[in-house]
Amino acid sequence: MDQFAQIIVGGVLQGGVFAIVALGITLVYRVTGIINLVQGGFCILGALCLYSFQSDLGWPLPLAFLAAVVATTALGALLGAATFVPALARLPNSSMLMLTAGLLTFINGLALVVWGSQPYAVEAFTGEQPVNVLGILVPSQGFWIAGITLIIILGIWYLMTRTTLGKAVVACAENPTAARFMGIDVARLTLFSFALAALIGAIGGAAVAPILSLQFDGGSFFTNAGFIAVALGGMSSLPGAIAGGLFLGIAEQLAAGYVSSLFANGLALALLLATLLWRPQGLFVAGRARRHDVRDELRVARSVIRPGARTVSVAALVLFLFLAALPYLVDPGFMSSLVITLILFIAVLGLDVLMGYAGQVSLGQAGFMALGGYTAAILATNYGVTPLVGTLAGMGLSLICALLLSVVTMQLKGAYLALATLTFGLLIDSLTVGLTGVTGGPSGLVGIPSFALGPFVFATPQEMYYLVLAIIVLLLVILTGGMRSGFGRALQAIRADQTAAAALGINVPRHKMAAFAICAMLASLSGSLFAFDFHFLSPEMVSTPRSFELIAMLVIGGEATLVGGLSGAALITLLPILFQPIALYKTMAEGAILVLAFQYLPDGMLGGLWRLIARSAAATPAIADGTVAERPSS
Amino acid sequence: MTETALEAIGISKRFGGVQAVADLSFAVPAGSITALIGPNGAGKTTVFNLVTNLFLPDAGEVRFYGDSLRDRTPGEIAALGLLRTFQTARIFPGMTALENLLAGAHRQVHFGAAWQMLWLPPALREEASLRRRGEALLDLVGLSRFRDVAATSLPMGAQKLVEVCRAVMAGPRLLLLDEPAAGLNDTETAELAALLRAVRDIGIPILVVEHNMSLVMNVADQVIVLDLGHLLARGTPLEIQHDRRVIDAYLGVEQEAV
Ligand SMILES: Nc1ncnc2c1ncn2[C@@H]1O[C@H](COP(=O)(O)OP(=O)(O)O)[C@@H](O)[C@H]1O
Ligand SMILES: [Mg+2]
Repeated sequence: MDQFAQIIVGGVLQGGVFAIVALGITLVYRVTGIINLVQGGFCILGALCLYSFQSDLGWPLPLAFLAAVVATTALGALLGAATFVPALARLPNSSMLMLTAGLLTFINGLALVVWGSQPYAVEAFTGEQPVNVLGILVPSQGFWIAGITLIIILGIWYLMTRTTLGKAVVACAENPTAARFMGIDVARLTLFSFALAALIGAIGGAAVAPILSLQFDGGSFFTNAGFIAVALGGMSSLPGAIAGGLFLGIAEQLAAGYVSSLFANGLALALLLATLLWRPQGLFVAGRARRHDVRDELRVARSVIRPGARTVSVAALVLFLFLAALPYLVDPGFMSSLVITLILFIAVLGLDVLMGYAGQVSLGQAGFMALGGYTAAILATNYGVTPLVGTLAGMGLSLICALLLSVVTMQLKGAYLALATLTFGLLIDSLTVGLTGVTGGPSGLVGIPSFALGPFVFATPQEMYYLVLAIIVLLLVILTGGMRSGFGRALQAIRADQTAAAALGINVPRHKMAAFAICAMLASLSGSLFAFDFHFLSPEMVSTPRSFELIAMLVIGGEATLVGGLSGAALITLLPILFQPIALYKTMAEGAILVLAFQYLPDGMLGGLWRLIARSAAATPAIADGTVAERPSS
Repeated sequence: MTETALEAIGISKRFGGVQAVADLSFAVPAGSITALIGPNGAGKTTVFNLVTNLFLPDAGEVRFYGDSLRDRTPGEIAALGLLRTFQTARIFPGMTALENLLAGAHRQVHFGAAWQMLWLPPALREEASLRRRGEALLDLVGLSRFRDVAATSLPMGAQKLVEVCRAVMAGPRLLLLDEPAAGLNDTETAELAALLRAVRDIGIPILVVEHNMSLVMNVADQVIVLDLGHLLARGTPLEIQHDRRVIDAYLGVEQEAV
């Protein structure tokens, strides 16, 4: 009984932390309809700033606390004003979600640059001595956390119900268009809610700093927990966020206390996946005031520059010859990086079918890479299965998982696929780390054989390079065939306007499922090749940050271009290797590039290139908005 | 006796206090153009939404070549060959005019994704023939020069024509057009009229909601007049033009305005 009470106390404390993050996410969601994944970043910044002000500068606690909160909130307001708010007016919801993922990556990278990768510990505010309450030991920091959580909740409640500002937020949540007509400055309100969320995050992060080990990528931990709490509680409800946070905290502590901490993490994610699939409106809220559809009308026109068939053929030939000759042009030590670029490009190709063409978002692409990588590697290493069969088995397993995930989410509009895939990816992360007996745990799986086809073994980077290049050529031929004809057009029609697509007799759920299946299987293939290439596979090679990285590669390279992702993959993989000194800035740059690409390079590098070519070759007159189209001659 | 393409039997729909469609029955014979006219708010768009199950009717039933459409999703209804356009053009952004038309041809694609991905000759031939049809259709409505231009950058009138063409490309067994001439200039309206007649002549019946009376009188074989959700009159364009009730309720006002 004692142990039980102890666990519950721990659960409530942890739940309080989750609730704070969840509140921040809900607040922004209510005003904008966007799931703000950057929220956890503000928590970790608040906590790390507190450490620096206290330990490095020697400031007293209250001053350090205040300064940490002010600094983080200021950064939050700045990021909001520079990226989130202006982007909101132009980007569809799915892109906004990824933009916030980019911001989180940016903050993780920023923290890495400033604080390095070592862990930090902050002293408890009032000594480490736990307090004995009726025989239960409560850590003294627990009272601080509980108190601060309560103050935040009361503050938000007061703001929402008693002030004009709060009423404006509510009006905006219910109907942004009407709110605008009522004279509410929606952009300013958005910025306000974003900055307020940063403030809450900073306070919460600083308050829980003493009970956690702080590391630069802690923001992801906070975001994951807060996002799970929000999704459990019901997306747009503030009480739901609190209930979801507490529920999650207690459930995790109970599972950790009675089973194992691995189980706790997996349980939370499995719980969330089940919730998303069977009760997408959340556990604690009766499906009221979901505000998904409000912004869904925003359709973003993509440029329609269609390079002619001859241009494409020539460009493809030149590119192929260049890639085929590349091993003879570069330093041999550089070969393995080129192989990685090509392998990752396979996963990006899959993502392009789903995101670029069908307009659906997967935040769990690395989860499928892990599925393919571990399945193939384990089968080949421990059971003597040939690499080819192992790879195919991985793809089959990924296909099954993708179909299961999509059966329900495809029927729903909005961000459900994105959320379900994110959860799936996190679940796979926790499994690869936790199932030590099967996957080798955090230290990874070693002794994976080389890829082989019958008697041909692909052992050197050179051999591997040509194998992957051959696979890519094959995939490009196949996907180009599909995307240039009816299948690809149906996907693009779905991306553009689901209702109109259905009115033309296009089976929307089935096409989305097909795109998702292709996406998952290519990720799986990429993961398997990754493992055979490295002869080693560890969880962080194929974990959620990798999913975000793949998205960045696609967006930077150019969506719906198939081949564009190659330039994105090359940029993100090769630049840090070419310029060693910037390797430290890699994560930060990735985040920044993703955010900037969304805002300023809507067609990616390849789209920009076509635009330049088309403009300089301007044989066809520019029409209306200056969009130039070359004549396709197929 | 000609075949009946579409038959509505006593369909009703109420929105709150508004009886948008009240116990309405009508039939659209195959092989002809039927116009559905009536003042703003008469319930014409709602009839379309009821026929395509975008809204479920409170009462009544719709039959398409004898098959009941009850319990079918909008997608399934489209798959049966009942195609519609929207009052506000819903062109696919990010696609050229021709690609919009080809997206409409989805129903006509028999060699699916697998065939296309392997570049198999039947799929290639099919694609080429669809392209030819799309280009011919654009030619017919005088939009060839916009073929490879972003469809959403076209003038409103051209967008509406593209939307009609897109539905025609689907090879419908019945075409529902919601105010296709709204926003069209005189040339474009003439091209639309030519298109509608051409579509009818290749055997595709049309039910068209339209305010432009000269267009209606020009192309329609039968006119159905709706007022406040009720059927007000039905007949040939000539009969309707001289129908007292129609003139009182609708045409009179319209003609004074012109
Ligand atoms: N989705 C809806 N919700 C509520 N009322 C509607 C809706 N659609 C149409 N109505 C009402 O039904 C009536 C008929 O509208 P509609 O079918 O659009 O007319 P028409 O197309 O003939 O101009 C109008 O009074 C309109 O306000
Ligand atoms: Mg109407």
